[in-house]
Order: sequence, then C-alpha cells, then structure tokens
Amino acid sequence: MTDKPVLTLKDLSIEFPTPQGVVQAVKALSLDIHKGRRVGFIGESGSGKTTTALAVMQMLAEPGRVASGMIDLGGTNVLDLDEEQMRRARLSRVAYIPQGAMNSLNPVMRVEPQMWDGIIAHEGKLDRAELKRRSDAALESVGLPVHTADLYPHELSGGMKQRVCIAMGIILNPELIIADEPTSALDVVTQRQVMQTLKAIQTEIGSGLMLIGHDMGLMAQTVDELAVLKDGELVEHGSVQQILEAPKHPYTRDLISSVPLVGGESFLNPDTRAEAPKRASAEPLLRFENVRKDYGAVTALHPMSFQLQGDTPQIISIVGQSGSGKSTMGSIMLGFNPPSQGRVLFEGQDVATMSAAQSLDFRKNVQAVFQDPYACFNPFYRVNHALKFPFKQFGMAKSDAHTQQAMEEACAAVGLDPDLVLNRYPHQLSGGQRQRLVVARALMLSPKLLIADEPVSMVDASLRASILSNIYDLKDKYGISILYITHDLATAYHVSDYVMVLFKGHVVEAGPPKEVIGAPQHPYTKLLIDSIPWPDLHRSWGDGRQDWDPAKLEAEAAQASAVYRGMVPGFDLQEA
Amino acid sequence: MTSQDNMPMTRAEKRQAKRIKRFDNPWMNPKLIWGAALLLGIIAMGIIGRFVWDPDLVFTGSSMLRLPPVGFENLRGQAGTMANPLGTDGGGRDLLALIIIGAPNTLFVGLLASLIGMSIGIFLGFSAGFLGGRTDDVIRVSADVMITIPPLLILVVFQSAFGDVSLTMMALLIAGFVWQSPTRLIRAQVLSMKQSGYVQMAQLSGASTSHIMFREMMPNLVPYLFGSFIASVTTSIVTAVGLEVLGLGPQRIPTLGRTIYEAINAGALIQNLWWWWGIPTLLLAVIFIGLLLINLGLDEVSNPRLRKLS
Repeated sequence: MTDKPVLTLKDLSIEFPTPQGVVQAVKALSLDIHKGRRVGFIGESGSGKTTTALAVMQMLAEPGRVASGMIDLGGTNVLDLDEEQMRRARLSRVAYIPQGAMNSLNPVMRVEPQMWDGIIAHEGKLDRAELKRRSDAALESVGLPVHTADLYPHELSGGMKQRVCIAMGIILNPELIIADEPTSALDVVTQRQVMQTLKAIQTEIGSGLMLIGHDMGLMAQTVDELAVLKDGELVEHGSVQQILEAPKHPYTRDLISSVPLVGGESFLNPDTRAEAPKRASAEPLLRFENVRKDYGAVTALHPMSFQLQGDTPQIISIVGQSGSGKSTMGSIMLGFNPPSQGRVLFEGQDVATMSAAQSLDFRKNVQAVFQDPYACFNPFYRVNHALKFPFKQFGMAKSDAHTQQAMEEACAAVGLDPDLVLNRYPHQLSGGQRQRLVVARALMLSPKLLIADEPVSMVDASLRASILSNIYDLKDKYGISILYITHDLATAYHVSDYVMVLFKGHVVEAGPPKEVIGAPQHPYTKLLIDSIPWPDLHRSWGDGRQDWDPAKLEAEAAQASAVYRGMVPGFDLQEA
Repeated sequence: MTSQDNMPMTRAEKRQAKRIKRFDNPWMNPKLIWGAALLLGIIAMGIIGRFVWDPDLVFTGSSMLRLPPVGFENLRGQAGTMANPLGTDGGGRDLLALIIIGAPNTLFVGLLASLIGMSIGIFLGFSAGFLGGRTDDVIRVSADVMITIPPLLILVVFQSAFGDVSLTMMALLIAGFVWQSPTRLIRAQVLSMKQSGYVQMAQLSGASTSHIMFREMMPNLVPYLFGSFIASVTTSIVTAVGLEVLGLGPQRIPTLGRTIYEAINAGALIQNLWWWWGIPTLLLAVIFIGLLLINLGLDEVSNPRLRKLS
C-alpha cells in the first residue's frame, strides 16, 4: 500500500469527565486504515470501539472530549474542522452505519425521501429525476428491489432495514465507512446476507471500512486487518491471518478460544456425573401433549408432543432463528403463557389446573435463566433479594444464617466472590456477574428442571463459555435437567444431549447433536450452519458471491419434511 | 483509571468536581429544598401564628373596618396600626388572622383531596394493569370518561345542593376528580413493568400477586407517584380555590379562596382595598410556586439526565 491512508489515528486519547473522576475511554490509539481495506475493531463492551468511531465523526456524546492526538481523514485533520465543515464531511467523506437500523430510520417517512435528505444536505436542491436515479442505484447496489423506495420502514424486515441504512451510507461514495455492529440485532442467516452486501459494496466503491464488533467469527469472515481493543488500549493489530493463527496478546488468545466451534474441542470438562434427585413420582418430569400456540392468526408453535423423563439429568437444546417459536415454547413450559391447544404436564399434573400448593411446588422445581441479565434484578433491592426471597418463599430456609450460607455457597459454585457481589445493587454489577447470579439462584433452589432461554446471548463473548459451563455444571454436579433454548448452534453442539431444530414452529430436525449439527440433513439446518461465521479463514463464508439467496433456501426448507436422527433414552419426541 | 492519579486538576476541573459532588445526593436538590421550604413556611405560619396572634380576630367585627396594612393609608385617611399589621377587611376581620387560619386550610384541602385521589388511583391503576381483561376495560373507560367531564361543573351542582360543607367534605368531593390521571399513569407503568425480567423472576420465585404489586413494583414507581401526587395537589387547590371564589365551599371556615370571594363581593377592587384580595392572592402564588419547585426538583431527582453539571 503506497496510497495515503484514508484514516490515520495518531496517539488518540479520549476522556469522559464523570463524578468519579476522568475516565479514559481510549488511550493513545494509533492506527491507519488504507483505501479499500477492511479493518475490524474487536473488544468487549466498554473497550472504546464505538467511542473511537464517534470521535472520527466528531460526534462524541457530552461530556466526552478528545484529550490528545490526531485524527486525519484523507489529509484533513478532523479536529480542526468547525461544525459546518464537519457537517459537510459527514456522509460525503465518512459514513456511519448504526447498530440498530430499526431505530435509525424515520418511521413516518418513506425510504426514498430519507435517502434524498443526505444528498440534498450536501449538494443542494437537485432535480427529482436525478435524485431518483441515484437512490435507485444505491438500493440496487445493496441488492434491494427498486420498489423498496416507496415503502415505509415498518414494511421492511430487519435485514432489509439494515441494507437500506447501508445504501444511505454509500450514496455519496464516502472514503470511509464506519459500521458499528451492523448485524448484532439480526439472526445468523440475515447477518450473512447483510455482511455480504456490505463487503460487496465496499469493494465496489473502494472505500475503507471500519467494522466494529465483538464476534471473532464474523471478523474472520469479513475483515482484512484486526485491531483488538481492551480497556481503551490497542493490544494487538495485524492481519486477520496473523492474529487468528498466531495471536500474541493473551487477551486475543482468550477471545479466539472463547468462540466455541462445531466439531472443535469442547470447552466443558465433564468430570463428575451426578444422578438426578430422587423423584417420588414415576411420571415423566415434563410432558407436552399436542401443544400448540397461536397469536391471532399466526401459529407460533405447531402441535408438538414430547416427554422428558428426567431420571438421568439431560440437556435438551431447542435451536432456531428468531420467530421460530423457541421462546414461546420456553414460556409455555414455565406456565407464563397458556397453550392454545394441548396440555403441559409436570410430573403428570397439568400446569394450567394446579392448586396453589401444587403451583408452589411446580415453581420450586421449574426454574429459569432468562436472556437479559440486566432486567432480572429489581433495581430497588440489593441483588441478594433475588436469591433470598425464593429460598424463603419455598420454605427452604431454616434460619437467616442458613440462607446466608446457602447464598455464599451458590455464589462460590458459579465463581463469584459472595462478599463482593451479594450486597451490591444490580447496576453496580456487570452483565456477566448478574447472569452468574441468576445461575447461582437456580442452583440454590435446586429445581428438577431449568429452562435456559438464550442465557448468554447478551453477555460479552469472553464470558460466554464460562457461564455456559456454570450451567452445564448444574446438570453434571447437581443433577438438574436443562432445556437450553438458543440460536447458537455451536454451543448447542457442545452442551446438549439432544437437539431439536425449530423452523417456523415446526421441528425440522432432531437427534443427538453430533449428527444434527455435525452432519445436518435438513436444508434448513444446513442453511443455519452455513450462516455461522467461523473464526476460520479456510471456511469461506461471505466471499462477495451474490448468488447466495437465503429467501430461496428458506422456501426450499419449508418444503422439506422433518428429519429424525435417532433417539436418546429419557427423551421421546413424537414424530409429527 | 482516573486522571487525578497523575496530573493535578485545574481550577475549573476542581470547581466542576465540587459541583458534581453536590449532585451526588440527588435529594439535595436546590429546587426541591426551596419548594419544600415555601410550603413548610406556610404550615409553620399556621401553627406558630395561632400562638402569637389572636385567632379570634377572624370573626366579623372584631376590629375596625377596612384598615390598611402598616405604613399605608386607606381612602378615609386612616393609617395602619400594629393592632392589625396587614389591615382588616370590610367586615372588620383581621387579615393576618385570616391568612394564619385560611392558608393552612387551603393547603389541607389540597393535600387531603390528592391523598385520597392518589390512593384510589394506585388501587385502580394496579388492578387495571395487573389483572387486565374486563377489570382493565371498566377502569380504563371510566377514567377516560371522567377525564373529559369538567370537574367545576359537577362540583358547583354538588355544592349548591349540599349548601354549607366542611373542609373534609370538600376534599372528598374534589378527590373524585383527581384520581383519573394517577390511574392512567400507574396502569401504563404497571403494564410495561409486568413484562420486565424481575417481575418474571418474582413469579418464578412463587411470589403472590400482592407481593409482586407492592414489594417488587411499587418501590420502582415511587418517583412517578411523588410527581403525580404533587401535580394533583396543585389541581386540587386550583379546584378548591375556584369553588371558593365562586362563593361555594365552606361558608364559615376562613380559606384563601373565600376571602377573595368576599373581597370581590364587597367591591374591594374599585374601593382600592388592595390588601383584602392582594394578600391572599400572594399566598396562593407562594403555594403554587412551592409546588412547582417541588415538582421540578422531583423530576430531576427521578430523572438523572435532567441534572445538569453546569
């Protein structure tokens, strides 16, 4: 590369004055982005990725400020520009593609005038035909049909909205595109499609790309260079190949090893096998009898029957994209959501018609870990309230000292220091700590069945493996059967004894994970597995091919009949 | 990592740090303190006044008629005396005694009415939001209907039918018109809170409905409840004073509104007896400013984004 880089960051430091003192969000960051290169910024939340991007655009939130250093955008020092000059540079020279496309489009305007806004703001009033020509060209370049221009944002799917945002970003052929986790709100299939679009368009206009993210696999499939950030510091920078194959910094190594691979080494260490707690009843632990759920005219879950015996602890995974009905299944099992048809039986007792005492017993024995650890604690109480209250409510507490001891043991079992966390308020703890506490809570109550609904999807990547192994321990050391609901096939591959793949409320493939995920047969399972971005350069994914059309593949998948791949003792899924 | 470790703070930074420190305790909010001080001042005046001043001076004919405040002269050339420092009205009632008795009465009606209204609102709002279904329909529709009916109209009819009412009776009547907006506000909050993770967690913990309502949800509603309470105190006082100025409301008990009614009735405006209507109006203004400041202060307490650093 002999060209002048499109973006040069030199000793960039950004700080935020707060009541507790000045926080250094970014520390002496130096980096070049060359024309046509894709550079990934990877790191945990709070590592300064987005802050750096916003500084390039001069859009730091108050009271943040660039303390020192230089930002050079293709020969212009951004920090010297005044507000008006900066306004002109935004979009025409540096475009920003935001994280949540759904919130970035104006809901009361059609797509077309929103795209024109950017052109008009930079080039003044133009001829309507000219505007139309350019917006249509931009939409076509991101692979959207021209008639999309006349739609309102709510008429588009998440992936389409994100592509509209990309089209808006490139409409003035910027030198640099900043994409801030552009696919974090999308599921894997759509993610692959959007990233392919972004790569193709970036190659076409030859701009630099700064991709912010936390997913090592996505980075491996998308970018040329990788910058690893930790606590505002650039800990490692190099080509993707170099970083993936020979990571130097221990943090980078952690990041890479924390991504579970299908067929790769397991991150779990199943050492002890506990027996399930002795059960008085011979009835299966959980049984679905023809359970179906409708929301209005939409059927979220088609009639399904299975039974989980629960005599030996097992992990059953339910895998699917958003909208596949997997979370609906979870809430039906918890009794939060009555089925439209059929019955859910817990130890032979219909969940819908339980007496108060039976209901309390059901609650004690069926616990859950939810997706969002931030919402799970009442902000008004210290976190120990969430552990203490159910323990007393279920009559398990012998004395206050006993409760305290049980809490401390549970915390220690999930790797938390009870002295440090128990007496805090929820907002003082990180997402990972909170999710561990929820696991500790489940452990304390020692239920017979735990429903884990996307337990790690909102936790930083480096913590996922360890929280999953905490959950896995519940099965192995404490004999709790677990229903693991997830969109992440790689983790399902490792933790589960049995996998069900759900597609539009139907089970399309089911069986032991080594077969279902290791060697998928159903077209939908194949589509899901092909869409996973592997942190493996040899497993090509988004190589810019435009012929990969998920809509067509999904239509094919809808035609194919379900594939059943063998049974495991203790879990019977009735073939539909 | 903070910068204090390695470099000394500039003077501006020090000042800012100090200012930030003061904002550490959100309840030490200047607006809130000033507002509370104004209202407490009025209550204190009512309590202390009864001991240092003769409350019997509120009766008709207890002093000379139409005396001006100290330092002023009335149209007849009489100068104000220390016997009646704020002057007297057309019936010979001492204005200082009138406001000592009347201002706390006005505040009392407002507080009692909105306390009752809020209690109804909390009960109905929680029931509607939590139980849903038919209960929700009934409560929501009746609150929406009640909100469209002008309260003064109904109250005028009621009061003329009742004739003389007591302060408590009047507060009860007004309470019937201030429960709607807390009901709607709490219902909306409960609806969104019902979906939140911690309520689901509490359900998983086998918590009873009342535990979820009052132990899990209620504490998080406190800022809204406070704000709503102050707003309905304001509404109640406006309504009460409105009725009194129309000559309705309690006939024998001095209130600020009734004093203004009598002043208007006796033609105090054209006779230049400004102290008669001016002093009660001033006190009402003080009450409203106090309530407004409390409301603004509470807003800042419950919404940290409004707390400015400058």
